[in-house]
Amino acid sequence: MSTRKNWTLSIVGIVIVALFLFPVYWMIITAFKTQTEIFQTPPTFFPETFQLDSFATVIEGGIGQYFLNSVIIAGCATIVVLVLAVPSAYGLARFKVKGVSSMMLVFLVTQMLPATVVLTPLFVVFNNLGLLNTYIAPVLATATLGVPFSVLLLRTFFMGIPKELEEAASIDGCGRLRAFLQVILPIALPSVMVCGAISFFFAWGDLIFSITFNRDQELWPLTAGIFNAIGRYGIEWNNLMAFATISVLPVIIIFVSLQKHLVEGLVSGSVK
Amino acid sequence: MWKEFRSQFKGYLFVLPAVLFMLILIGYPLIYNIVLSFQNVDLSNLATSDKQFVGFENYKKVAGEEAFGISIGNTLIYTVGSVIFQVIIGFCLASFFSMKFKIAGFLRGIMMISWLIPMTVTALLFKFMMGSGEGIFNQMLLNAHLIDEPIGWLSSPEVALWSVIIANIWVGIPFNMLLLSTGLSSLPQDVYESASLDGANWWQRLVHITLPLLKPVLMVVLMLGFIYTFKVFDIVYVMTGGGPINSTEVLSTLAFRYSFSDFEFSLGAAVANVLFLILFAISLVYLRMMKKDEGI
Repeated sequence: MSTRKNWTLSIVGIVIVALFLFPVYWMIITAFKTQTEIFQTPPTFFPETFQLDSFATVIEGGIGQYFLNSVIIAGCATIVVLVLAVPSAYGLARFKVKGVSSMMLVFLVTQMLPATVVLTPLFVVFNNLGLLNTYIAPVLATATLGVPFSVLLLRTFFMGIPKELEEAASIDGCGRLRAFLQVILPIALPSVMVCGAISFFFAWGDLIFSITFNRDQELWPLTAGIFNAIGRYGIEWNNLMAFATISVLPVIIIFVSLQKHLVEGLVSGSVK
Repeated sequence: MWKEFRSQFKGYLFVLPAVLFMLILIGYPLIYNIVLSFQNVDLSNLATSDKQFVGFENYKKVAGEEAFGISIGNTLIYTVGSVIFQVIIGFCLASFFSMKFKIAGFLRGIMMISWLIPMTVTALLFKFMMGSGEGIFNQMLLNAHLIDEPIGWLSSPEVALWSVIIANIWVGIPFNMLLLSTGLSSLPQDVYESASLDGANWWQRLVHITLPLLKPVLMVVLMLGFIYTFKVFDIVYVMTGGGPINSTEVLSTLAFRYSFSDFEFSLGAAVANVLFLILFAISLVYLRMMKKDEGI
């Protein structure tokens, strides 16, 4: 391809992406605008005065607790997902277990279910077990989003690893579990990280489980906090957008640092 | 025999924890939800054992409500509208980014940000941009003289559903683009070369080569899009809460309203089951297609 064509396409591509991501830009710069500037016509596409008051307001308004809750819920859900899904995917890929296809079916079907269908029953069950208004309820519920995704993605990955690796390890006197932990897992680490990141995103984005299972606002994650803040801050859009910006930040940081792996993983995970 | 059992047993140890987890947290609730929909459970008898079997009463009652019919219609319009535009725009972008210029992959990846942002944030963001006075959508359209007076994106019942669809299309575009890009990159290049030699133009290549070859991938993308869009909750719940006057009510929000605003758990369960039945039927079709494709 000629350099000129390469340049033209690159510029067109950048324009497309910039237009597409305009809402994200608009969110961030609104957070820095003053209340008067937001309602100004014509709208300003770059803040005239950068003010940090909105960030101060939402920090004083207790965003720290929401943030911490999100980290706890999404972090624990991710751990639950990985502990369950990694061995399961490996087992489905390597052992001739009876009923592999029906177990695969369980994961495929559960992945497609709407949260609304399990919401009321889970509410009743968690109520009976005394798990409402604890971190455990949303952690368990959001882990159900990551488990099937991760099993399906990792199974494909494990099937691609040559069997000879474990065979060699077993000749060296390695047991099955040790071969899995010491030989296979290190190779699978990038894929496991992709599953972890995606499970984290799923849990980070949850609203419905958290607001249903936890009436106690002290336990709410950022998403529930935002939902609540819509009422509290009303049309103070700069405060709301500061809230939104802060809650998006960790996801974007994780994404940017894992971008290449994530994009590949997403493709293979969602089609399989 | 013993050896076979032993090796199978180890396999089960690896596989079963996750299967059990899903069966307990998804399978059991699913069945429970069906039971619930045939009982008369509300806040008064949720924790007691005083639950009556009422047959199809809940379904009859729900079906008699105006909101139910509206929400089925809305869910369908929302899903079909979202999926069609996501796939068309996703396809155009996939075609563009499949031209091999240096930063194509990077730019394509950056677009995934819209998929990552929690739906609640996206919903809030579009709510802001679609505000009737200060909203940037109206401001830009007014400045460009495309409209004479502000559109009530979320306040007018005729427009609100489409506003929610627009937000959802934005969320779904990169994912569709990604899947279709993968599909496009797997098409055999030599067919295009010989078609070019035969003098086929861009449009003929698209209609006679790309689309037919891409059909299996397109079907998967359409089905997956349908399944994932049909269960919409967050975007609608945060942007409009189902209003104004039921104009954006979908099955998920209706079920949620019955269960957790009115505390009529059985009515909520009945609506959720209707949603589940429709999704299940579509999932079965999808799974059949996958089976043919990959032989799982």
